[in-house]
Amino acid sequence: MSLRIRLLLIIGLGLSVLWTVVAGWMFLDARQSLRDALDNRLAASARMVAGMVAQMPEPAYLAADDSRKPFDVIARDGVACEVSLLRSQITAQAIVRTSGGPDLTHAISGFGTHMYGKKRWRTYMLRQGNIQIATADSMDTREALIKELALSAGVPFLVALFGSLIMLWFCITHGIAPLERIRDILAKRKPGDDSPLAPIKAPIELQPLLNTIEQLLERLQAAILRERRFTDNAAHELRTPLTGIKTHIQVAGLAAELPDENKTLKAALDKADHGVLQLQSILDRLLNLARLDDDALHAESSDPREVAYAAREQFQASYPDLENRIFIKEEGAISCVNVARPLLLSATQNLIDNALRYTPYDKPVIVHVKQPDSRRVRISVLDEGPGLNAHDRAQAVNRFWRRDRTIPGSGLGLSIVEAIARRHDGTFKLLDREGPGLEARLEFPV
Amino acid sequence: MHVLLVEDDALVASGIVTGLKLHGLTIDHVNCASLADTALKSSYFDVCILDLGLPDEDGISLLHRWRDQGQQLPILVLTARDALSHRITGLLGGADDYLIKPFDLLELQARLHVLTRRLAGRSKDFVEHGGLVFCASTGEVRLHGHPVSLARRELALLRALLQNPQAILSTEQLCDSVYGYEQSLESNAINVHVYHLRRKLGNNIVETVRGLGYRLGLPEKLDPL
Repeated sequence: MSLRIRLLLIIGLGLSVLWTVVAGWMFLDARQSLRDALDNRLAASARMVAGMVAQMPEPAYLAADDSRKPFDVIARDGVACEVSLLRSQITAQAIVRTSGGPDLTHAISGFGTHMYGKKRWRTYMLRQGNIQIATADSMDTREALIKELALSAGVPFLVALFGSLIMLWFCITHGIAPLERIRDILAKRKPGDDSPLAPIKAPIELQPLLNTIEQLLERLQAAILRERRFTDNAAHELRTPLTGIKTHIQVAGLAAELPDENKTLKAALDKADHGVLQLQSILDRLLNLARLDDDALHAESSDPREVAYAAREQFQASYPDLENRIFIKEEGAISCVNVARPLLLSATQNLIDNALRYTPYDKPVIVHVKQPDSRRVRISVLDEGPGLNAHDRAQAVNRFWRRDRTIPGSGLGLSIVEAIARRHDGTFKLLDREGPGLEARLEFPV
Repeated sequence: MHVLLVEDDALVASGIVTGLKLHGLTIDHVNCASLADTALKSSYFDVCILDLGLPDEDGISLLHRWRDQGQQLPILVLTARDALSHRITGLLGGADDYLIKPFDLLELQARLHVLTRRLAGRSKDFVEHGGLVFCASTGEVRLHGHPVSLARRELALLRALLQNPQAILSTEQLCDSVYGYEQSLESNAINVHVYHLRRKLGNNIVETVRGLGYRLGLPEKLDPL
């Protein structure tokens, strides 16, 4: 349901109910006042007639016999009047009556409502000595008056009510116009549009909403950008070795058709093989990452010192010229950590590998193992390479991110280290060293 | 055809270099933008294959820079990024063609020929000159309908001359087109190829412009038997 209709329904219904109750109350009040006024008129008329009768000499017909018809008088304002002579306590004989008026000789004392000749009357009866004076109003006339009253007050009320609903519609439309403008601008925005929101004229109450939308768009844009950069990098890292393989296979095909190109054929096949190994290494790393994200962890513990020495040994076995470039520094007693040994070894190897790639050949790489407090163990790998600026340090754990594409690598090493740390409630940070180089700091709870 | 390849990945570059050489093209390879700049300044190229992921400068910005400097060289962009927006940015940035990795070597070669053909204002794959027909993509040469067998260097020399039919080409320019800049060669190397071309296609096929270089002439006339 649109906001406009919602507001109109809520405010419109509220207003209508409130004004209907007030109108009903006013109508009942006015009707009661009208009835009281008409009753007062009846009583006043009766008292006036009583006063006139008292001042008059006793007419001769007072003594007349019962069978005489009452004397008709002309009345005004629709009030019927009857003057009767009391014969006894209960019988009265009408002597004067308004022409066309009802027989009121049996009316009760004070106010009453009676049916006379199929019509309802409001009566007032007064006794003064042996004279009984009764006045009456036709109830139909009274109801007509009340109807007229209701009509004359109700029609303007209804007009005003409908008028206010229409006004409400316009006011709400005008009031929510800034929202409509915001909606329009957001609806017209194309996907991938990275320009900031155009300035919108909006009241101060909406500014927080606008700011939130703007921040959300910025965050969204940044996320899209990160995603795009990731797919670009991933495409580059995966397609480049694939291109190498494909090209060299095609070269081999070409060379096979030509005489005297046996050497080219063999070289091309060797290169294609090299490309396959490169691709295989990237895929292995990606699979490792995927496993780290999905697999349940096994409760295993390993000794960080032993792992650091094992990592150094493996490097030295693979690259004999590395001798004496990897130093291991231990500080104090070091507890075991709850990380499976292969994972801790892989993380340490990745860090050392990374450090060696960026450190000049004559500079050492230091693996520093210590326990800064009783709760965590820290493995720091310190190099003397070019280091990274703050922006690159934040980017470095992103998959396929590589600072320098001339240095071989897949851009997945630090992502794997970060994933291992994250999976074991540890932390992985890249820190600026005081001198040249970078500190890669891995911490695990004991 | 003298091709400049700007590609940072050694594996891909070696594949392209070997493949295109087998197709009879002369190709020089550099692995970064700064070396590409130097190569363009020091040598004459017919076409450039540019990889966008270079270590020292983004390929797109290099492309912009070259076009801003008035560089007219046809450029085929090679990239692993396949998003449509990248392709559009590349083409609007001054690339003449776009190929996404992994590509087919034959397609790359065909596209290079199309680029140079368009630069020469031709819409067909073969050049007709007098009684000579030269097929740019296969390197096949026919003189008055009879196939003529040319060595790789001779073919490169003929290609360079046919590519610029009115122009006088200096010995250095021809050397670039035939050998690339990496090989040191003897001073009369071009003369030898010119001699062989004249022997196979007629004495007037290459005109010597004294002190300036060489120009394309007319091939041997059909013997009126």
